[in-house]
Amino acid sequence: MAILEIKRVSKFFGGLAANSDISFEVNHGMIMGLIGPNGAGKTTLFNCITGYHPPSRGEIIFDGRRMNGLHPDAVCKFGMARTWQKVRPLAKMSVVDNVMVGALCRTNSLKTAREIAMEQVKVVHMEHRADVRAGSLPIGERKKLEVARVLATRPKLLLLDEVMGGLNPTESEEIIELIIDIRKLGITEIIIEHDMKAIMRISDRIVVLNSGEKLAEGTPQEVVSNSAVIEAYLGASHA
Amino acid sequence: MKVFTNNISGISTLSVLFLIAFVALLFLIPKFVTSTYALHIMILIFISVITGSAWNILGGYTGQYSVGHAAYFGVGAYTTMILLQYRHIAPWYGVWAGAVVALATGLAIGSICFRLRGPYFVLASIAVAEIFRVTALNLNNLTNGAEGILITEVPPLRIGNTVITDFLSKVPFYYTGLVMALAVIAVTWLVQNSKLGYYFQAIREDQDAAHSLGINLTLYKNAALAISAFFTSLAGSLYALYVGFIDPGTVLALDLSVQIVITAIIGGIGTVLGPAIGAVVLVPFSEALRSNMIAQALIDSGLVKEDSALGTFLKDQLSHAHVLIYGILLVVVILFMPDGVLGFVKKLVAKKRKEVS
Repeated sequence: MAILEIKRVSKFFGGLAANSDISFEVNHGMIMGLIGPNGAGKTTLFNCITGYHPPSRGEIIFDGRRMNGLHPDAVCKFGMARTWQKVRPLAKMSVVDNVMVGALCRTNSLKTAREIAMEQVKVVHMEHRADVRAGSLPIGERKKLEVARVLATRPKLLLLDEVMGGLNPTESEEIIELIIDIRKLGITEIIIEHDMKAIMRISDRIVVLNSGEKLAEGTPQEVVSNSAVIEAYLGASHA
Repeated sequence: MKVFTNNISGISTLSVLFLIAFVALLFLIPKFVTSTYALHIMILIFISVITGSAWNILGGYTGQYSVGHAAYFGVGAYTTMILLQYRHIAPWYGVWAGAVVALATGLAIGSICFRLRGPYFVLASIAVAEIFRVTALNLNNLTNGAEGILITEVPPLRIGNTVITDFLSKVPFYYTGLVMALAVIAVTWLVQNSKLGYYFQAIREDQDAAHSLGINLTLYKNAALAISAFFTSLAGSLYALYVGFIDPGTVLALDLSVQIVITAIIGGIGTVLGPAIGAVVLVPFSEALRSNMIAQALIDSGLVKEDSALGTFLKDQLSHAHVLIYGILLVVVILFMPDGVLGFVKKLVAKKRKEVS
């Protein structure tokens, strides 16, 4: 069953089509990879889905509900949460306070929020860092904090925008395990990633974007053997 | 020390006791301090505590640096004074009417200005406050324009036919100011220790991140502004009744807006007690400068001879230079105490503790 349906979504900035006529579905419990060269429109699509800018055309159906025109906070309340390519820690607040802000989406009690937050901090293995100021964390931990924080909003669908960007191999490996753990919690995930090896390994299906259009969709094996994809990544001579 | 610490909000029983004693002392001051000048300074400090703390909720916690808070101060002051002067409505109703008008004004301003971020919001807040000043200057029928509104006495506060207090001396104003100042500090503490406080700070730290975590930016920014405008207007009304005279150049001035922000910054923004400390530092300081007290003290102590060139210069010029010295003080604080006086003291204490252990 599809938890998210993207139906012919287009997004124009002036005359520039950042997304044009993109359609795909994401099923319950799966990990969907979203790949494409720089400027392919991946982050724009995330922004359209999560309410940061309304799509110019098309529909976004999440959990049977039309999401077009909803603000990001409403989208989050309906159970769709995102992380940012450029991490956005609440710098002057502690790690656990950051996560509590996410948890307060579902409760008004600080005590409950703190309990939820501590659980999520444990999920990303940062309990020993709970009282550290978020602004003083190194990049690897900032990325994990970002994940813990959205998890605390109790999402059904999680959109991860390059959570492995800028990480060393050990840290990337930790994030990969984290993504797999999150799926085990019953949370559907869409991930944007440039690390091909990683994305091939963890995705159930992959959508490839190029110049704002959907180029291909399929299992990782289907996508890597698709000649259009190879051309987009490596040039016509390799196709 | 561990014995005294209970885990709720990390406040030790000892500091609670200290706080209670301090507040009790504040309530007792008029019983043994008879100097009207001392009481006058205290009342000015209270007004400054209220405005600084009120601004802090919007500026310090929510990160919306309004430099137009004179608008709410002025709206409160004018509402109370107009109702009293022309409609003969007693201030204890007028003050609340002023607060409601300021709150409504705030929400109207907020719905427009909160679309803007960072420096653009600051500029818009200044512009809106200036609109209020110019309007008050020209609405002669209502505000008496540049001449301002002068009242000769504040009617006594009575319940039924019993007079509770007459407002003839400074003491009733002292207590009113003290209670209001304590109220705004208590509200700040409550805000900090609630969902509101977390959401306000999240908005301050990163609006987009806050938005994506389910925070309705418009709603919570306006909530912060509502609380802030409400208390700022109370301070405005208190000031108006205490001084007995208002005009657009004092209660709606850009100077006042800046003063409010500076008090909070110097004390330490985003903390419960920061603005109060800022007020305690700044009000006596600027009064001392303005009234030539510092020059006189230097001469009296023999450090500077009265008939020397420096002596005459200080005596003649220092009181005019209070704005300049104010500016220098602000620069020093921003350079050397970026978290304000309170942040600086906290850091010193932490350092001392580290050295001891």
